[in-house]
This record gives sequence, C-alpha cells and structure tokens, in this order.
Amino acid sequence: MTHRFLSQADLKALIAELVAAKTRVIAPVRAKDDPEQLDYLPIQSLEEATFGARIPRRSLKEFFLPTTEILLSYHQTKEGVTIKEVPTEHPPQVLFSATPCDAAGLDVVDKVMNWDYKDELWNGRRKAATIVSFLCSSMDATCFCTAVGLGPDSSRGSDVLLVPVEGGYLATILTEKGEALLQGKGKAEVPAAVQAAADAAQSEARKKVEANLATIPADFSEWLAKNFDHPLWKTISLRCHGCGACASICPTCHCFDIVDEHNSSSDGVRRRNWDSCQTSKFTLHASGHNPRGSQNERFRQRVEHKFSIYPTKFGDILCTGCGRCARVCPGGMDLPTLIGELMTLAKAEPAESKL
Amino acid sequence: MNIYQPYLMSIKEITDETVDTRTFRLEFKDPAVAEKFTFNAGQFGEYSVFGEGESTFCIASPSTRKGYIECSFKASGKVTRALRRLSVGDTLGFRGPYGNNFPLDKMKGHSMLFIAGGIGLAPVRSVIWTCLDQRDEFKNITIVYGARSVGDLVYKRELEEWGKRSDINLCLSVDPGGETPDWKGKIARIPTAVEESGVVAADTFAVICGPPVMIKFTLPVLTKLGFPADHIYTTLENRMKCGLGKCGRCNIGPTYVCKDGPVFTAAEIRALPQEF
Repeated sequence: MTHRFLSQADLKALIAELVAAKTRVIAPVRAKDDPEQLDYLPIQSLEEATFGARIPRRSLKEFFLPTTEILLSYHQTKEGVTIKEVPTEHPPQVLFSATPCDAAGLDVVDKVMNWDYKDELWNGRRKAATIVSFLCSSMDATCFCTAVGLGPDSSRGSDVLLVPVEGGYLATILTEKGEALLQGKGKAEVPAAVQAAADAAQSEARKKVEANLATIPADFSEWLAKNFDHPLWKTISLRCHGCGACASICPTCHCFDIVDEHNSSSDGVRRRNWDSCQTSKFTLHASGHNPRGSQNERFRQRVEHKFSIYPTKFGDILCTGCGRCARVCPGGMDLPTLIGELMTLAKAEPAESKL
Repeated sequence: MNIYQPYLMSIKEITDETVDTRTFRLEFKDPAVAEKFTFNAGQFGEYSVFGEGESTFCIASPSTRKGYIECSFKASGKVTRALRRLSVGDTLGFRGPYGNNFPLDKMKGHSMLFIAGGIGLAPVRSVIWTCLDQRDEFKNITIVYGARSVGDLVYKRELEEWGKRSDINLCLSVDPGGETPDWKGKIARIPTAVEESGVVAADTFAVICGPPVMIKFTLPVLTKLGFPADHIYTTLENRMKCGLGKCGRCNIGPTYVCKDGPVFTAAEIRALPQEF
C-alpha cells in the first residue's frame, strides 16, 4: 500500500489521458432529469463529474451485471442450430469516485459469482475495470456502512482510495491495477500534514455513520437462522408492495432470470435480466405451488439472505449499508431501522429457537 | 465455453407416456461431448428450446448407459409446451449435469425400496435402471409405483418388463376411482400401498419421489416400518434458472437445491426451514 498526492490538475490530466486512449471513464454526473441526483455515467473530462456530493441513485452493479445482457445468440434452420457465444473479455474501463459502499459491493458479490462455477461474464468485466473510490462525506440518516463492517473510508473492492485534502487528493494505492493507473502521476512524497488531514477527514466521516446504527454482531446471522418462524415476520413486511425497487438499486442483490427472445422465426437471443426475490412469480412452480407465497415470506428471504444465508455460506453480509433501499421504497420499508429492531429483539431473546 | 452455454442435442426418440407427459431420448451433436459426458443418477439439467427458454428437469435415464440421456416432462409452462412441439431430429439445448446424486456406492450391498407417484417416477427410474444394470450389487428390489389413474402411469412398457422379472417385487397402484375395468394392480393411495408391500426396513434404503402431499403422508409410514430418516432419500424440486448457485431462487434457508440437492435424506429435509 503506497500513497501519492494528486493535485486537481493531475487528476484532470489523468482523466484526459485515459479518454484519449479510448478507455471508458465512469464517474458520478448530475442526473439529466434531476440535477439534485447523481448517476454513474461515462465522462469525457473531469469537469463533467461531481465528486463526493452525494451517493449516486444507482449502484455500480450494472457495469458488471447489466440490467439485461445477452448470454448467447442463436440461428436456427431446418438443419439445426448454431450458437454464437458472447465475449467474456472486455476493454478496460476506470470507475472514478465510486462510493466505498459500491466498491465493496462488487467484492462481496465476487464470492457468489465464483464459489464453484465461475461466472466469466461477471469476472471478465471485473478484470477489465479499475475502481477508484472516494472518501464518502455525503452520508445521511439512512447510511449504515459501519454497521456491516465497512465505512465511508473503506478500501474494500477499490484499487485506489481518494481522500480530498487541501489543493488536491491523497491517493492510497491498494492493488496492482491502482499502481498501474497512477504510475508517475502526481507526487510520491506526501507531506505529513496532508496525511494527517486525510486521517482526520476519514475518522470524522466514520463518526457520522456510526451514529446511525450499531455494528451488527457476529451471532446475529445465527439468531436469524434460528428464528425463521418468529412471529415478527408476519408483521414486518406489511408495508412492502413487492415491487423489487430495493433489489434493483442494491449494490449486492444479484438474482437474475434467464429468458429467450426471438427476433424472427430463425434468430434470437438468450438474455440474463435482473430479477428480485420480492416479486411473487420469483419462486412460483409450474404446478402453481409457491414456496414463498406471501410477501412476508419474500421479505424474510431478503433479510435472511443478506444477514444470515450469505454470511453462513460466504462469510460476508450481503449488504454494504448504502441505505438506497430505504430511500427508494414506496412503502417506507426502512431496512436499517428494521435491522436495528431485529438486533434489539436478538439481544432480548438470545438463544431462543423458534423452529 | 462460459457456464451459460448449452450443449446442442438432437431428439432421437419421442415416447408419449400419458396425454400430457412425454419422454425424449437425446444425443449430443458433438461426438467429443458425447464421448466425455458422464452423470450420476439424481442429477438434473437445464433443457432449452431456442427462442422459448430453459426448463429444469432431472435426467431420467440411468447413468450406466452412455451416449444418450432421457428426460420426461409434462407440458405445463411455456418451455415444456414448446418442447412438446418438437419432433424427432429437432435440436435442443442442454446444460448440465448439475447438483448432487443418489449415493449408489453407499446403497450397494443393500436392499432397495423405490416409491414414486405420477411423473415422480422419472428421477427414480434413473436409479432403478442404474441398480438393475448392476443387479448383483443389490439385494431385494421393491418398487411401489402409483398414480391418480391408470392413464397417469408413466413408463408403461418398463412397468410391464419389471413386473415380469422375478428379481423385482413390483407393486402398482392407482388412487380409488382411477382404476379401469381391466386394472390388475392395487387400488390404494401410495402410503397404504407402501404399508401393504411387505417390505422389510432392515438393511434397506428407500428412494421416494412424487407430489409433496404423497411424500408428506408416506414418510410417517416409512418411519413406522422402521426406516431411519437417513436411509430415506428423496428429491426437492424448486424453481431454478441457472442451476449453478447464482440466480438466487431455489434456496431453502442456506440450502441451495441446485447445489446441495436435489437429493436429500428425510433427516436433512426435517432440519430445513419449512419453506418448500
């Protein structure tokens, strides 16, 4: 892990250099339909980007698991079928000013994409991308990254972490990709005062989030598993519409559907589309039977998957505490508040198994 | 080849089992794939009709027979209806084999009780033939198979063949009201048929597949007969898309039916959250 100091001009030159080399550069940009909001979009110059103002509306997920992507295309004749595979190698791209929660989300999802069968479509895009995250200072009351073991200064999933300091940025280089990106850029000597200012900014940012939700204890996952039939599940999701908005903006929700689309009687594509465990058809059998027939069961699955199943299987909470689900929910379902309530309950009824 | 790429297979033979259930015999188009493809009884695959989509079923043929696989399906959704429109010589896609399997090595040297209801005979048939192809390795083989009516019984030619063999104790049964005037089998529901089959639990493994309600009422009978829960094997059939442990819909708590299953013991199923 090394540090470099980048001035505003250094960063501007770096982005111009990447754009000139035809590398796609993504950064938070004011949304066209709502200047209050930010979207991760391709930029041509630093001026187009807005660093650190607030969490972009959507996570970085779609740059690696697109909303819809072609898995194969086929051509069908009387003689048979020919399949055209999709490429799993991609041109390089650099994602600037990712929020640390979004960068961490990619690292968390890497596990399910590689636990046995390797998802080369995901991995190909991951390999081609360099992630430059930015110290978060735009947290609000729904953020809870510190509760899930991350933080506004978390470097997980990042190749470089930028911390704004007077006159520029302190860049912490975390990986070889980060090293390659910043080689020869800015200054290698970081004055002690700059380092101290960056440290202070990081600790101040952490304090702001820590006030929102206490750290989730390690045994919370076990409590959830044991309390699968807790009466609480029957009431906790009454406000949930089952729309799946929470899953679509979530940096770690990765469930998908596979469907075929034909363009003509002979040609078509097989696609992978985002899907959500909150919709009623998600687990519906052909027979009409549905193992998760009610919204209560579907919401329980969402909470269990994130805070019990994924931690049990992969050692990671499937949540980065970005708070987006609470911000977009039309029914006012507020995950951090609900998790807080569940944690209180877990403390009150520690080892009680309801199974 | 990425993990979502199917093999191409051609339909060599079509057998109508019932009015809505059909069996395909499939062969790999690529001889190199046909040569190296192996699977174990109980595993499943994703079968696809190009332009319509993929559907999940078990491999219904025995793992002891090389060069082809068979699947049986009931036309009940978009893909299965499209599969029904295919003819001999047509091409379909296949991804697999996926999931775990029945532990044949552990079962060798013991007696076997096979119980199936309706199309649930498909995964059981794969194990039955795998055992019959190495008959010397097993002691008594009892098959209890039933359906709602005579018309709903699948693999009729094989039922006839098994009935003639002296090394198989076959018990066929249809639900009351489902019999025809010439029906010679039992008229009883599966749990009763199992109870009256005369099977001895000692030294026997049970394999049971069928509608959830049938399994629910047969398990207590097996317990009563003396089968320990870890000697009873069944399969769970949740909706799946990828079959690879990624798409996130077949799990029952932390158990992924596509990866940890589809074969489970009754003891394992008892320990699962009740959400299936």
